[in-house]
Amino acid sequence: MGSIDFGKIFTLTLFASTFRMATPILLATLGGIFSSQVGIFNVALEAMLDIGAFFAIVGSVQTGSPLGGLGYAILACVITGLVFAIIHLELKANEIIVGLAMNIFAAGMTNYLLVAMLDATGVYQSDLIVGFKEVQIPIIKDIPFIGDLLSGHFPLVYIAFLSVWLVYLILYKTPFGFHLRAVGEKLEAAESIGINPKRSKYFGLIASGFFCAFGGTFLSLSYLNLFAEGMTAGRGWLALAAINFGSSKPVRSLVACLVFGFADALAIRLQQFGLPSQVVLMLPYVSTLIVLLASAMSDERKKKSIMNKHQKLETADI
Amino acid sequence: MSEAIAVKNITKVFPNVIANNRVNIAVNEGEIRAIVGENGAGKTTLMKILYGLYHPDSGSIHIKGVERKLSSPRDAISRGIGMVHQHFMLVPSFTIAQNIVLGVEPMKGLFVNEEKLVKSVKEVSARYGFDINVDKLAADASVGEQQRAEILKSLYRGAEILILDEPTAVLTDMETRELFVMLRRLVDKGKTILFISHKLREVLEISDFTTVMRNGQVVGTVKTSETDQHQLAEMMVGRETIGGRIRTTCYAKDTVLKVENLSVLDSRDLLAVDNINLDLCNGEILGVAGVDGNGQEEFIEAIMGLRPIINGKITIEGKEIQGLSTREIRESGIAYVPSDRYRSGIAIDAMVWENIITGEYYSKPYSKGLTLVMNKIITITKELVEKFQVSTPGVKVKTGNLSGGNIQRVIAARELGLENAKVVIASQPTRGIDIAGTEAIRQILIDYTSRGAGVLLLSADLDEVLALSDRIVVFYGGKISDAGYWDEGIRDRVGQLMTGGLGE
Amino acid sequence: MTEAKKKSNKFDFRGLLIETGTQLLNYLIILSISLLIGALVIFLSGKDPVAAYAALWKGAFGNRLKIADTLDRTTIMILAGIAGTVAFRTNVINLGLEGQLYIGAFSAALVGFGLTGVPSYIHIPLCLIAGLIGGALWTIPVIYLKMRWNITELVTTLMMNYIGIRFTEYLIAFPFKDPEARMAGTPLLEASARLPKLIQGSTLNIGFIIAIVIAIGMYWFLFGSKTGFEMRMVGLNKDFAAAAGIPVNRSYTLAMMMSGAIVGLGGAIMVMGFFGRFLGGFSSGYGWDGMMIALLAQNHPLGVLPASLFYGALANGALAMQSATGVPQSVVVMVKGSVVFFVTVTVFVNYIKRRLEKWAA
Repeated sequence: MGSIDFGKIFTLTLFASTFRMATPILLATLGGIFSSQVGIFNVALEAMLDIGAFFAIVGSVQTGSPLGGLGYAILACVITGLVFAIIHLELKANEIIVGLAMNIFAAGMTNYLLVAMLDATGVYQSDLIVGFKEVQIPIIKDIPFIGDLLSGHFPLVYIAFLSVWLVYLILYKTPFGFHLRAVGEKLEAAESIGINPKRSKYFGLIASGFFCAFGGTFLSLSYLNLFAEGMTAGRGWLALAAINFGSSKPVRSLVACLVFGFADALAIRLQQFGLPSQVVLMLPYVSTLIVLLASAMSDERKKKSIMNKHQKLETADI
Repeated sequence: MSEAIAVKNITKVFPNVIANNRVNIAVNEGEIRAIVGENGAGKTTLMKILYGLYHPDSGSIHIKGVERKLSSPRDAISRGIGMVHQHFMLVPSFTIAQNIVLGVEPMKGLFVNEEKLVKSVKEVSARYGFDINVDKLAADASVGEQQRAEILKSLYRGAEILILDEPTAVLTDMETRELFVMLRRLVDKGKTILFISHKLREVLEISDFTTVMRNGQVVGTVKTSETDQHQLAEMMVGRETIGGRIRTTCYAKDTVLKVENLSVLDSRDLLAVDNINLDLCNGEILGVAGVDGNGQEEFIEAIMGLRPIINGKITIEGKEIQGLSTREIRESGIAYVPSDRYRSGIAIDAMVWENIITGEYYSKPYSKGLTLVMNKIITITKELVEKFQVSTPGVKVKTGNLSGGNIQRVIAARELGLENAKVVIASQPTRGIDIAGTEAIRQILIDYTSRGAGVLLLSADLDEVLALSDRIVVFYGGKISDAGYWDEGIRDRVGQLMTGGLGE
Repeated sequence: MTEAKKKSNKFDFRGLLIETGTQLLNYLIILSISLLIGALVIFLSGKDPVAAYAALWKGAFGNRLKIADTLDRTTIMILAGIAGTVAFRTNVINLGLEGQLYIGAFSAALVGFGLTGVPSYIHIPLCLIAGLIGGALWTIPVIYLKMRWNITELVTTLMMNYIGIRFTEYLIAFPFKDPEARMAGTPLLEASARLPKLIQGSTLNIGFIIAIVIAIGMYWFLFGSKTGFEMRMVGLNKDFAAAAGIPVNRSYTLAMMMSGAIVGLGGAIMVMGFFGRFLGGFSSGYGWDGMMIALLAQNHPLGVLPASLFYGALANGALAMQSATGVPQSVVVMVKGSVVFFVTVTVFVNYIKRRLEKWAA
């Protein structure tokens, strides 16, 4: 194993595929940010990705177009968000438990529909699936390095990264975003000036579904055109970790998504170099633990320096 | 002068309690009307009805003589009613200006026009002569600033009638005076103010008329200039209030609790307790006064081992306790009644017996080896329930099903049932308890001192501290100052120290 | 005052009746809705729901052997459910049961095939203990991250699931690969490590009895012991428990480790009783079933028993339903998911209670 040439591992392709692997996590993260900004801890991101991936395939087969697939995915995921909202907000069930139930239900449902609608077990792959095509960006594609890094991705990759900016604008620059954040941060304050918190929460969950639909569609209709059971592989949970790391702020969460994307890309790359896939595939999950640990450590370092300062002041008094 | 707002025959029933019972009140334009009453008298319910948060079961609301239905705060705002809540309704991560315009933001295309936002807030603020930095984050604003922001929030929305719910509860005397000046200025500009309070001295100072409520009903309305504290108090409680006690001094006694050079951070890592020294003698009740948020809460948590300390030494009868676990600290002789009972005083989903034994469950006779001895536990907790007059169908009842006052009694039964405590730390021990219950708990605290224990009594309610304490210290900005032993002048001294007046 | 006291000392039959009735009716509603959702799904895919459920019932309880097999499935459900219960009671959100199950199962297998020439009465306990320890050890990173760095276990336990499953896959693909096995797995366990069967012709084994003993033991532990009391109080209100001097961190650590150990034991029993070896991907989400069972049982150890039987029957009957009627067995997963949707819904409970109180008065 000592013979691995690291120069060959860390290539431009690795960084380009970092963007690709970060995309579904990022889209789920952006969706989750809307929930968490209205004060709902949405653990159903995994379910939403799963449902999005499945219905994107159904839509693609039925309409013969990847956009049709995306449309189906959006519809299915928005309904998922709506169901979550109704059970949590109207029937007053605990949000975390509803989210967990959603994950289990979604796994069962996509599995069931795979048999019932597409007559396949476990995996569905077919020529009928029409996926997205890579986009070459004029001018940029001809610049050395940058062209290889930034051009030639699938459209949803660009949409994901542009959405970070879009989500930032919505949350921090529009009155609507102000109201959403007010609901999440101090519900009574929002309520007391006539903002309807329930409506904001409905929106937050539906927006989660909307973005996860893009993430799910990316999983099944870009690169690999297929649906496989468990293909979300915990990306919804990685997204939650990213939100946690980024304190629900879009740009900060992006950083964590890039780290996870990099771990994913590196795992694929290392597999090609003959490392056991089982070990390599642990990377994204291990990297999540490391990211969480690192952010906790830096918080504590800040706290320590404050305490030191106070202690110094006190000795100075004497 | 014409009528600004009136409620007629308002009734509001909650499960188990009639919060408002055929309430009639009419307030004229340009008037400051105080509404007073004890906790649970129905003041807050009435205000929430006026603000559209609750809907009355019967009765009507008239604004400027016209009957109006207020089905939401939005309705109330559009009819010119503004509310300043007791707990401020500000979003911490927003600036003061953003908070003020929340919901009515000036726009530039699709986006919020931040420039115009700040300008318009400044305009309104200047029109009413407010002194406030609108670019500050609400999280960084002082209590007084937050309150001014709340008032501006209503004025910005064109409020003609302002409702202030216990506005002085969190203010220092100085801030209260500033508030009163501000309110007078608003009234001069034609606004009408409803001022809810249970602090009679302040009511007498600021209001034109005073309406007294008791048990959900209006007892009467009097012209403030023609009444006095005594009469209002009698109307409020239906009888004379509790008097003081005979004070002791502790010149020649022993120190039971000694705190030296204690410094503690708060949850946001800011210095909350700044190098504090304190001695508590046996046989005395030491009152700890101060406006909420001046470090007293963190101080107590540090003593109890619930919050790490940066620096300092704490001893009980000479034995150092800093750095020990909460259990070890309790075992060295402290009983502790926490101030926020729902947060740290009780598990509302646990049974009454479970809550009562939580401090002592691991020792005899409650347990033997690994096991809890249930029949002993039930017998003893039943005795305690009786002794502390907890009104409950039994000890195997979910504590959350009891009323607030009875929950406080359960806490008292747990903490003050231990007669051998050397130090009692009681934070707001009688909050929300009726007069009979308050008297009982105060008597228990006094009994402790006669057995030689020291009592540290914290309360935001200055009257409670004054009624019991032999000596009073005051927290201000994380520092402590001694107001000395109880005498006629102590209220003034404490009042000044609470605002940082004396001291340095 | 004395009048009221006399009344309160009398046993409150009416209250108890209303309480029990409310609970029963609530469960009836939750289960009915969930089964109806399943029926609707079956109906929409063009199949006959009644026939499907009948086949499911027959598959689960059709004859003596089927009942025995259902009870065998129930074994792992009980242990996973108890594991969930002890964690949730302490308000420890252990979503890592699945990973702990795998590690426990693998540890037991390791002792089961690695240790030779010891009699059963030593070998079996050693394997079971290995399962307990394996499951408990897998929670240590989570506990460390929570205690030292205050990182929520909600995310870390999940990550440990993926890591644990991949890790055991690696172990059976490389160091402990059985070259003769068709599926990726360890070598077969020694006969001395296999659990004795209870009934000829079924896989039901003494693991079932162990599970029931553990459920009852957990009931005593939570409601009769000092440590259980501490854990429950921490679960009900952590700040309160801390202020009253209960060692909160110890309770957290203990709950997490007990939870991992018990589900690890479940993994050991599956390996020693059912499979006879450790197989990659052997668990069809039993860890998640455990979480759902704990929720359905409202974290009551004895409630875990009927809830586990329900889930065991669904799991065991599903395959029979699929082969008899062609309805994919994953419909069962949807029914299980739906149950959890409605478990914390309080609207029904409040409604039923009000009606019952009116009716009783």
